[in-house]
Amino acid sequence: MFPPLNLPDGVLALITDELPSPADFVLHQSIISNFKLPAKDSKRKAVILSVSESWTRWQAIAAKSNVNLNQLKDSGSLHLIDVVPSLGPSEGSDAFRALFDKITSIFDATESPSAPTLVILDDITALEWIGHSTLALSRFCRALRALCLKKNATLLIRHHLITPEEPDALFRLLYQMCSYHVDVRPLASGRSGAVSGEVALHAGPSLPPTTSVKLMPRSTALQYRLTESGVVFFERGSSRGVL
Amino acid sequence: MSSFKRKTPGKQATQLPGTRPCPGSISTTITSTGIPSLDDLLGGGIPLSCSLLVNAPDPHSSYGELVQKLFIAQGLACGQDVLVIDPTPAELVKTCMWMPGSSNVVASGDPDEEKDEEIAKDQDQKIKIAWRYEQMKQFKTTVASPSTPSMDDYCRVFDLTSRIPESVVEKAIQSQQLILYDVQPSLEVPSASGTLIRIEDLLIKRTTASVPLRICIPSLGSPLWGELSSKDILHFLFSLRSILRRHANICASLSLPSHWSAENAGGQGWVQKLGWFSDALITLSAFTANPSLSTLFPSHHGLVQIHSLPAPHTLLSPSDRFSTLRGLSASTPSSGSGENNLAFKCTRKRLVFETLHLDLEGGVSERRTTPSNTDFETNNPGLNKKAAASVEIEIEEIMPTGSVDMSNEPKPSPPKTTMEKSKGKKKKAVAFHTDRPDVYDF
Repeated sequence: MFPPLNLPDGVLALITDELPSPADFVLHQSIISNFKLPAKDSKRKAVILSVSESWTRWQAIAAKSNVNLNQLKDSGSLHLIDVVPSLGPSEGSDAFRALFDKITSIFDATESPSAPTLVILDDITALEWIGHSTLALSRFCRALRALCLKKNATLLIRHHLITPEEPDALFRLLYQMCSYHVDVRPLASGRSGAVSGEVALHAGPSLPPTTSVKLMPRSTALQYRLTESGVVFFERGSSRGVL
Repeated sequence: MSSFKRKTPGKQATQLPGTRPCPGSISTTITSTGIPSLDDLLGGGIPLSCSLLVNAPDPHSSYGELVQKLFIAQGLACGQDVLVIDPTPAELVKTCMWMPGSSNVVASGDPDEEKDEEIAKDQDQKIKIAWRYEQMKQFKTTVASPSTPSMDDYCRVFDLTSRIPESVVEKAIQSQQLILYDVQPSLEVPSASGTLIRIEDLLIKRTTASVPLRICIPSLGSPLWGELSSKDILHFLFSLRSILRRHANICASLSLPSHWSAENAGGQGWVQKLGWFSDALITLSAFTANPSLSTLFPSHHGLVQIHSLPAPHTLLSPSDRFSTLRGLSASTPSSGSGENNLAFKCTRKRLVFETLHLDLEGGVSERRTTPSNTDFETNNPGLNKKAAASVEIEIEEIMPTGSVDMSNEPKPSPPKTTMEKSKGKKKKAVAFHTDRPDVYDF
């Protein structure tokens, strides 16, 4: 994944954000860096499970970094699945069966199974809010994680925190599964033109004991500023507004 | 011949009525809400394929509905299609406002008020506080209404005192420019899902897809919608947003009634949920329920809180770069500092969003930029007149040079000749008095 997070391939990263500081930039930067990184032997792939973000937005933001998602989609390197229409008509866990089968078939169809793949679920919380049960969602995520582990794919799941002080049930379930937790938070002092928010990187319970990733606790969280074409990271206290 | 050639702009895409490209990204087309200052907050206007949700938690006022009426009026005025979804859409459209001068309903307001405002404005401009501030621009709390003719069609100037002529409404209904859909609660399906099906139907049947369509829902979830749960409302917002994403030329503006706008109306974190499910969420919390706030801010009618802003094609919302009122853009002198506090006021003719400033002493005082309409001193006999500060202006007498007299004794008037010489050089002096002792006097 893109610097400064530099997550390795084949992990599950849980990305949490709050309304004043949406973490969609992490997802967009991941997809851009996924296709910009020089792959060693084979071409990289990506699967976007889109709930909230629109295809036009994915395209427009990637185009600013010279990544043509349309072309990648046509060539089969990128798959976009609109989650809500893909869900089955039945309630509960069965609703996700059709979606899961679709994802499996994408993995099976690839000629080079060793190719590093990035799977993004852009908004799991919205699914919960429109009426899918926490149990069904956590089962789906568990199955998805197992599939990604088997295929050595990276899985990014975004979850919105609405009560950061007391985490909800879905967050606790997702947290148990993840190897890294990317914590995107707004500044306590409110919105500002120079700093959009801060990012911390925590280790999750499923992290393998040997890791080379530099973790960032909240006390030394990196601040970021969204710009036209991307995002700029900087240390605390070194923003344009301070210097 | 020079090898340098002026780059001629290519064939311009035919612009849709009442829209213009967003200044930051050409792929985004924006349209006006009918309120110039709200457009500024949104970064120029509502982008097509986006939704604006207005929360108005105050039960004694209906500023949310007012925003919707301006949204409808602007749509009709600039030739866009408008779909109004409400239990009583016809009554709502009838009470919309219109451009000044074109109305057949005579405004009942007195012209004196306007005159007073103008006189006060003139006085405002004459006051000079100190010579070193002469070069400074006048302090502004809001953005100007469009005055150039090119902007005219994009955002009309509406007058809250004039009504929309009935002929305009009838003509719009006949030509299918205005579509009224009355929501009827049914026992089988929640009215929200029934409405969604109707919207989809209408969009399929629509023949004039090149004209932008405004969907306006002035009171989503009001009692006349029937029994709706918080999940129904969230599902409605989510589905509406996915409909908008599929159609490039539609935008929507919604308001929630007061009982759905409160902080935890639909469970914990309700407002955040609403914010995630709409492209722009703005809360207008009026002061009517809290008299202490209206005394604290006598010239405003409520606070404005921005929860989320539309960014359909960019990471950064255009509002962050272009909004003057929010003050986050790099061009403002205070760039890098925090967001401005915002408030709104509703004068006799307009609804205006502006920046909110505390007074010199951080409390109750007169407004310095434009006169306040509410004369709270006379209205509130309980309030001590001493609490108000006053500005006194007098012409400073020119002292004869060379003699500096610190005593307060009255001096004989200086010789006439010197007075005549320096007649043109009279200086204004301004003193700031408060009747009560200074805060730091012990």
